[in-house]
Amino acid sequence: MTAMKKIEENLRKEAKRLLEGGEVSVVLAYGRGYDENHPMPFAARTVEDVDSLVFNEYCTFNLARYLPKYPPKTKIAVAVKAADSRAVVQLIQEEKVRREDLVILGIPVTGMKDQKTGEVIDNKTTCNMANPVLYDILLGDEIHGFKGGSPYDVLAELEGMDHDARMAFWKKEFEKCIRCFACRKACPMCYCDPCFMDASRPRWADKSPTPDGHLMYHLTRFYHLAGRCIDCGECSRACPVDIPLYLFHKKLAKECEDMFQQAAGMKIEDKPAMVNYGNQDSDEMLK
Amino acid sequence: MSRIGVFVCHCGLNIAKTVRVSELAEFARTLPDVVVAEDYKFMCSTPGQELIQNDIRKHNLDRVIVAACSPLMHERTFRKVIENAGLNQYLLSIVNVREQDSWVTEDEDVATTKAKALINGAVFRARLLQPLVSRFIDVNPDVMVVGGGIAGIQAALELADTGKKVYLVERSPTIGGHMAQFDKTFPTLDCSACILTPKMDAVLQSSNIELLTYCEVEEVKGFVGNFDIKIRQKARYVDHDKCNACLACTEKCPGRGVSEWDEGLVKRKAIYIPFPQAVPQKPVIDRENCTFFKKGKCRLCEKVCEQEAIDFEQKDTFREVKVGAVILATGYDLMDTKPLIQYGYGKLPGVHHALELERLFNSAGPTSGKVVMRDGKTEPQSIAILHCIGSRDKNNHEYCSRVCCMYSLKFAHLLKEKTHGDVYQLYIDMRAPGKGYEEFYNRLVEEDVKFIRGKAARVTDKTDNPDHAGKLIVEVEDTLTSQFVTIPVDMVVLSPAMKPRQDAKDMARLFNLSTDKYGFFMERHPKLAPLSTMTDGVFIAGACQSPKDIPDSVSQGTGAAAEALTIVVKDKMELEAATAIVNSAACCGCQNCVRVCPYGAPMFNYEKNVSEINEALCKGCGLCAASCPASAIITRHFTNDQVMAEMEGLMEF
Amino acid sequence: MDFEPKILGIACNWCTYTGADLAGTTRLKYPQNVRTVRVMCSSRINPSFIIRAFQLGADGVLVGGCHPGDCHYGTGNLYARRKLAVTKKILEFAGMEPKRFRVEWISASEGKKYAEVVEEFTNDVKALGPQTKFKIRKD
Repeated sequence: MTAMKKIEENLRKEAKRLLEGGEVSVVLAYGRGYDENHPMPFAARTVEDVDSLVFNEYCTFNLARYLPKYPPKTKIAVAVKAADSRAVVQLIQEEKVRREDLVILGIPVTGMKDQKTGEVIDNKTTCNMANPVLYDILLGDEIHGFKGGSPYDVLAELEGMDHDARMAFWKKEFEKCIRCFACRKACPMCYCDPCFMDASRPRWADKSPTPDGHLMYHLTRFYHLAGRCIDCGECSRACPVDIPLYLFHKKLAKECEDMFQQAAGMKIEDKPAMVNYGNQDSDEMLK
Repeated sequence: MSRIGVFVCHCGLNIAKTVRVSELAEFARTLPDVVVAEDYKFMCSTPGQELIQNDIRKHNLDRVIVAACSPLMHERTFRKVIENAGLNQYLLSIVNVREQDSWVTEDEDVATTKAKALINGAVFRARLLQPLVSRFIDVNPDVMVVGGGIAGIQAALELADTGKKVYLVERSPTIGGHMAQFDKTFPTLDCSACILTPKMDAVLQSSNIELLTYCEVEEVKGFVGNFDIKIRQKARYVDHDKCNACLACTEKCPGRGVSEWDEGLVKRKAIYIPFPQAVPQKPVIDRENCTFFKKGKCRLCEKVCEQEAIDFEQKDTFREVKVGAVILATGYDLMDTKPLIQYGYGKLPGVHHALELERLFNSAGPTSGKVVMRDGKTEPQSIAILHCIGSRDKNNHEYCSRVCCMYSLKFAHLLKEKTHGDVYQLYIDMRAPGKGYEEFYNRLVEEDVKFIRGKAARVTDKTDNPDHAGKLIVEVEDTLTSQFVTIPVDMVVLSPAMKPRQDAKDMARLFNLSTDKYGFFMERHPKLAPLSTMTDGVFIAGACQSPKDIPDSVSQGTGAAAEALTIVVKDKMELEAATAIVNSAACCGCQNCVRVCPYGAPMFNYEKNVSEINEALCKGCGLCAASCPASAIITRHFTNDQVMAEMEGLMEF
Repeated sequence: MDFEPKILGIACNWCTYTGADLAGTTRLKYPQNVRTVRVMCSSRINPSFIIRAFQLGADGVLVGGCHPGDCHYGTGNLYARRKLAVTKKILEFAGMEPKRFRVEWISASEGKKYAEVVEEFTNDVKALGPQTKFKIRKD
């Protein structure tokens, strides 16, 4: 049996146990889509639902995204891969979910595939960790010796550009934006409702998709995710016009780690970096 | 649509000299929603204020813009002006065309263009201003004075006289401060103790003053009208409630510590009162030098104390004091002159600093008022007084310490009186700008004191001249004759810089004050609010603000008392209305505001899943608003819209 | 004619704005390219304000606050430092010249520093020429 199959089996087994025993009222995991390569997020609420649960290399969605949607104190089991688990940790830090309400089903996995392209998702678009950082039950065997490369290697090219070239790059990318907000929908950390972009007072940017508005929207969203983005890459996979949003998020994650000596979503006892300050903070960061 | 009036002040020529004021008014008339724009010589004067008020009525204005000096100067004035004309005081915008425009350029075009941009910004912002309702809070009627030197004593006595309760906090075991160390005071030469000790006693006798000696401020919470201050009562190891001040303990004590009051010239006991006239007259144990604390046995004081007041188990205790206003009169430190090795202090025994000499003059001092060398018997036959040691010195303290010229003259007079020696004054300039000071200087010139205009370069005991063997040689360039001179003397007296207290910065942080570049507490305005600080309800008096002599410190003490009284005399006071509120419809429940607020004003309502702000605690800094990803927090008077509108107006020109 | 940059200043009420006033009271002369918005604390500055300023055509943005540790509100500027540091990284990675955005701690007693910072920053921005990258074109 492949590792993926074993995970699927364990997922069903644990989901059944948890729902049967009433430990949780919902299991957030993956369900069948229109074909093998297009599984979907799925919330199993009954033992019968468990049969619909699947797991394969196309189960990319970060299910942490759905956690804040449930009423407080709902007992939830959530299936998380490495980056997804960091999102859960970050949400716990931000008190959007409570640790005691969660049963975290950890999925150690590498070599997930993009539903759109069928290509392997690696350190270019994600944090590229193999094992969840926080879990109650591990659905597969912990992965040892996985070396996927630094998640920030991919930045080298953009970092090497001069400012004008980088501006041109982003200008071209942002111009594609159709303001569908799929990025913010997919993001586990974008839970604001309404989002600043929806506000009419102040009107931060044009409501219609204009390049000036795109700039304000994306740069501000990058700011809102600084120190919080856990590099799952969901925003970019969700983007219908393929804007490489992950590049900007990665850059800020890297800078925040350098400046604040703290990576997003690694420890539940951390305080979110942007609503904190440290004794080691220095004016060097403003240089 | 709003109806805006723009009023451009000439400020005499202060603004009008560089900014073309009538052009500015004309320009303002072209801006959207501006219905009237006028310029006038002094907008803050009575006719200027009436001009604004008449226009408000005549043109039915609902927003007022005043282009004048800094808002820090007259925002309050103009708020009152429009309020008296029936407008909400927050419907005012001040445009700073003086401090940040006409005064910082000489180019008329540049200044006028910038003023236009600033007015444009203000118009954009003014259109979005909203009336705000002030909150009123109860005022605690009591006052705390920190520092029991002459300035603090004066402030406390004045306040107590008006019937207000005063907490006088002093960190040493007695009040009196530096003034208690002096023998005579310039220029009148009246005895320091004779004018100070009655005041110290008055403090003790006043039923309105609670004297907290050997205490330090530990923590400050709250704000004007309602400060909550934590005081540390340092362990005295003597129960002052039981002690009857017989002082038998101080006689028997075998421990020896350095006498702070005598500037270390002699030792005092380990259980001691700092000086015979100290207030209170009750001893403390200096733990460092106490035989029992050092060696574990002795307890002689305990044995002789009939009141059983000695308590070796005593610990520091804390108490919370609530007051409406605070006066800081924490004084100064004398500069340590040891690092200035060219003057030999600490190495050459004949070199003294000013406070040491004060103690030698004093009949209660270590020599009972005799001026003698450190051997305790030899009278100096020649003495040189060196001015400006560490003051007016770019390498140390650039400022003038203000009092040294005068006390050096006093020293010269007293030295003439008490010794038969020659006295030299080595000065850069003689500064005598006080009442009776110049006359005092003239008197000293008559008294056969040798004045040499020049700053001493070096003091040494090395000489090739056998006549000067055993003498201290002061080297100086006499700038009147351009001659390099060496003066052999027995004693050298240094007049060191007065500097901020070593922990002035910590104190400033406790009370949220700014300090100037030297570390002295900064006043709100050097001329118009010299005793106020940027923290409402906290006032300063005496040498903690800058070097000062006794008359100035006393004046400031009295002044600060009056300032404090303006607050505590009222039952209620108006608080800034520009606080933050949460638009709960937009709140995303992220709790960032709760996490960042320094005052704990936002609270998370778990029922409704939104944050709420307790306005009584909010100070209006706006940190929460900038941390709110959903733009749900409205920092009133500095809303996102208002700030961005102003930016837009500023960038249009 | 020489290019005269338009610079948006955002200064905290207690330190930098007061320091700028002091520069005036002491009659220091410095370039007049900075138009200042007064806010109560540097921590009030929403990073989007900076983006907006550039969109409005600012050639440079200068933010001034109290020195860390001296904030009138205790810790405001410590948060502001992190916010503004990240803002700087965002601007730079988006392609904005980093020299167009500067944060300085200027106390109420540092009128001279204020004048010096403004002069230096104005020269830096002048050397970069007009900012067009974020500026909204009004056609």
